[in-house]
Amino acid sequence: MRRAFTALVIASLVLGHSSSAHAYLKFGVPIGGQQVTVKWAQTPVRYFVSDTGVPGVSAVDFQNAVGRAFATWQAVPTASITYQLAGVTSALPGSDDGSSVLGFRSRPDLDRVLASTSFLIDSTTGALIESDIFFNSAFQWSTAAAGETGRYDLESIALHEIGHFSGLGHSALGETEMISTGGRRVLSAEAVMFPIAFAPGSIAARTLKADDIAGISDLYPDGDFQTTDGSLSGTVTKDGQPLFGAHVVAFDPASGSMVASFTLNAQGQFSIGGLSPGPHVVRVEPLDDADIDSFFDSSHTVDIDFKVAFFDQVVAVPKGGDSGQIALKVVHK
Amino acid sequence: MIRKLFTVLALSILLYALPVRATVVIPADLGELSRDALAIARGRVAALDAQWTEDHGTIETMVTLEVESYLKGSLGSTLRFRVPGGELGRFRSIVVGAPEFAVNQRIVVFLGARGPSVPHVLGLNQGVFHVSRAADNSGWLVTSPVMMPATAGNVRVVRGDPARRPLALDQFEQTVRSLAGATK
Repeated sequence: MRRAFTALVIASLVLGHSSSAHAYLKFGVPIGGQQVTVKWAQTPVRYFVSDTGVPGVSAVDFQNAVGRAFATWQAVPTASITYQLAGVTSALPGSDDGSSVLGFRSRPDLDRVLASTSFLIDSTTGALIESDIFFNSAFQWSTAAAGETGRYDLESIALHEIGHFSGLGHSALGETEMISTGGRRVLSAEAVMFPIAFAPGSIAARTLKADDIAGISDLYPDGDFQTTDGSLSGTVTKDGQPLFGAHVVAFDPASGSMVASFTLNAQGQFSIGGLSPGPHVVRVEPLDDADIDSFFDSSHTVDIDFKVAFFDQVVAVPKGGDSGQIALKVVHK
Repeated sequence: MIRKLFTVLALSILLYALPVRATVVIPADLGELSRDALAIARGRVAALDAQWTEDHGTIETMVTLEVESYLKGSLGSTLRFRVPGGELGRFRSIVVGAPEFAVNQRIVVFLGARGPSVPHVLGLNQGVFHVSRAADNSGWLVTSPVMMPATAGNVRVVRGDPARRPLALDQFEQTVRSLAGATK
């Protein structure tokens, strides 16, 4: 009986991820010695919006901006997830009441946090019971079509948080700079799921990028995702030893798009899915500019002591298939 | 084909095994954290206790830290601070972006508080620095040097920069003490 159960678990893992590759990090929780991905079992996913606005953003403005962000994720043709507004509520986000609520909330203990997503999970089964998104009312917000100077764009931040709400982790496809007067700002981001927000007034993060689309399609595949897109896989070693946590980026020169993943096991293996067929340039880099805890559980040791390297050939990604294993080698800084 | 299947299986299991964190933050540098903190403590995580919040709305975890040293302020030889999320009974609440701890971890934590309340971590994950032994066992290191303030002009952060390396713990602490005492 026990053996049959084990076989069933393995089968479900394989069938649940019949794609040959993965983009993105996903949320996972340990349940009964197994790891279970945090994702919605049924769609449409029903959500409530709170009935409270803030200066500059009425409750109706909020509902509309959040609705646009949900619609953006739902419009991905290769993903099956759908969402449904269940109603307006006076409940606050962050209360474990069985309903998924999005809304403003004052959280002085969460300084420097624009918004955050929470999950309530049945720890005996791994079932996702609810997910809430709170937007910190301590900040200035805007839903203006063109953005507003000095105010954070609610639709952009909602788009990022709904990615988490759907089960996606962070992407490391972004570039930043340290500001001489203090702080850090984003110069460019090739993923809505990059963890640092653009400056107030920017509406640049209202549009999903290739990496976001690959991630949501991997979690909730639909249509011809697995037959029209391709993947790229291989290993990363440093001084002949496998490397964990190396960031591997696949760049498509034809479209200019990027999709990335990490080496995620003790063998230094990586696999990047959701790629358009054709030639790709492959780069590997350390996650030495980021808060690693924002990407990986702190129980994992991520090696960041190596120099950036490129694969010495352009890699052909086939339609509906995998590139075959490529071997990336890096050296100490 | 079988080999590919095993590769897929291995990667699937790995991905499941990686709980990741997330939120949208206003990034702070070490100077801001040092100045804003009510207390900065280095110590060992001694206990983790999940509980319902005062309004019984959700779950939070109280972290007990056995303090080895204060870099700023003082809250006693053992201090407690709260972080969102935790597990109670059959329910597990995860606030993505909130730091998670394990007993016996060594950390440097930047704490804030409003009024008489129990302290909280500044900036969620940004206010926690892990202390780990150097690979060659030569001493203790702290990561995240990118949070050091820029010195002259804006500085583009480049991955793989050979100049950016983990800091020795004593150097990190000296910097934090200096920043904590500085006025902006």
